[in-house]
Amino acid sequence: MLTVKHLAKSYDGEKKSLTDVSFSVQPGEVTVIIGPSGAGKTTILRSINQLIRDDDGEILFDNTDIRQLNRAQLRQARCRIGMIFQNYNLIEPLTAIENVLHGCLGTKSNLAGIFSIYRNREKEEALKLLEKVGLAEFAYQQCRNLSGGQKQRVGIARALMQQPKIILCDEPIASLDPKSTITVMDILRDLATNDGISVLINLHQVDIARSYADHVIGINNGQVVFDDRIQALSDTAIASIYQKDANSEGSVVHEF
Amino acid sequence: MIKPENQISIPTRQPAGPRLSIPLRFRDRRRVTILMTLIVLAYITLATLPTMIPSHFKLGTALTSFAENIKIMFWQPHLANTTFITLLGALGQSILLAFLTTLIGSVLAFFFALASTRRLAPTYLVLGIQSLMAVIRAIPTVLWVLIYSVVFGLGANAAVVGITFHSVAYLTKVYADSMDELSPGIIETMQAMGLKKSAIIRQAIIPYMMPSYLSWTFIRFEINFADAIAVGAAAGAGGIGYQLFMSSSFYFNFHEVGVMVYMILAFALVLEIISYRLRTATN
Repeated sequence: MLTVKHLAKSYDGEKKSLTDVSFSVQPGEVTVIIGPSGAGKTTILRSINQLIRDDDGEILFDNTDIRQLNRAQLRQARCRIGMIFQNYNLIEPLTAIENVLHGCLGTKSNLAGIFSIYRNREKEEALKLLEKVGLAEFAYQQCRNLSGGQKQRVGIARALMQQPKIILCDEPIASLDPKSTITVMDILRDLATNDGISVLINLHQVDIARSYADHVIGINNGQVVFDDRIQALSDTAIASIYQKDANSEGSVVHEF
Repeated sequence: MIKPENQISIPTRQPAGPRLSIPLRFRDRRRVTILMTLIVLAYITLATLPTMIPSHFKLGTALTSFAENIKIMFWQPHLANTTFITLLGALGQSILLAFLTTLIGSVLAFFFALASTRRLAPTYLVLGIQSLMAVIRAIPTVLWVLIYSVVFGLGANAAVVGITFHSVAYLTKVYADSMDELSPGIIETMQAMGLKKSAIIRQAIIPYMMPSYLSWTFIRFEINFADAIAVGAAAGAGGIGYQLFMSSSFYFNFHEVGVMVYMILAFALVLEIISYRLRTATN
């Protein structure tokens, strides 16, 4: 499904943010990336849809290397990669259904984008997805009036509108209260199990990873230090993922 | 370990001797420069003020005749050389001049702003367009109208082009600024979904900037209305400004000037009400 091989990235050409990161993601599974702040989790996720241009390696999505695509091809590939964010990144002045419909604009013409022309089939699909995330009655609400948990669910519906093969989640629950966290994680879990979508999540919370993940990738200082099924994630493994590397130049927080 | 030269250094200044009180900020050169400039300006103002007043000037007489003129304008407004209908037509002309220049200006400025916002455009375009617009803005509207009157001759054509020119520069700046305020994450999100640039502009940027687009355009309409009046007098562009010029400088009829000032005030009041409604509706 998605295979990342020997990925490397350095932002300033000197300090390495990622060194030789390799892992793969299976369809129908929730894969969670955990690791300390500044370890490179976000860099990995953003390299997959090339929001960040990495320096070296291979990212095989459906057997094509995403890194080799030209601009038009990359845009097409991105249409099938959903992404949700910590701060939702919805277009807040627009309604929930308008935001969800943005998910299918990637495959439509310039004119459709400019004049917001959608087929009835697409509108029905958008309403169905809002119903799926439990927001059917909020379809015509402006997104700025929704709560954090509701916004994130609109974000998920928007990603699903792309008919994605994989959904990338960058700290999807970091700004949510415990109840919304469970709602959102339940939806993501369901997408993997019942719709066969690969779900790749950056997380800070190890306990959430324990209850929802199939597979865990531990990152420390830009390197993969753990890559196994969730059952193998022992306390010692967690300690080694989160250990402070004495030679770390990558960590953001310095102790004085 | 982080190398010492890579550490973020907080600029510190060693106090020269024992400090009696804890300062809230470092004494920096900028503040001293500003203070010195203000002192110099204050001195120049005080020194030159007496030389500006002519020797035969009598404050008492001047104040009484000023009050007399104000009284004629605002308490005894009536028409002599023109009709009310003519003046209404002239006011309409000025309003239409303001409307036309704002309309053309805002459409052109929208595209210039797209080409010069940091969110979409490369740095060289941002810097290039913004500095060109800054130069255009630095020259007052009336001057632009006079410059264009060399090409078009004194009249309405020069006024339309000149006011539009300055409006484009002004609106490009404020539109681009409001686009810059948009979080980069929003545009990144749209790109991550594979949206084309046209769709990103229409679906993400326009919804966010619409309120500020409306209120800035309206403010520019008010400015253009004032400019249209001034230009009518200064560049013979017609409208209520020209009528004002004729009454005040040609016929010396302050009764008539009063009528026109009341008409302009009435329209300004209408504008203010509309802009208030607009602001409360979009927020």
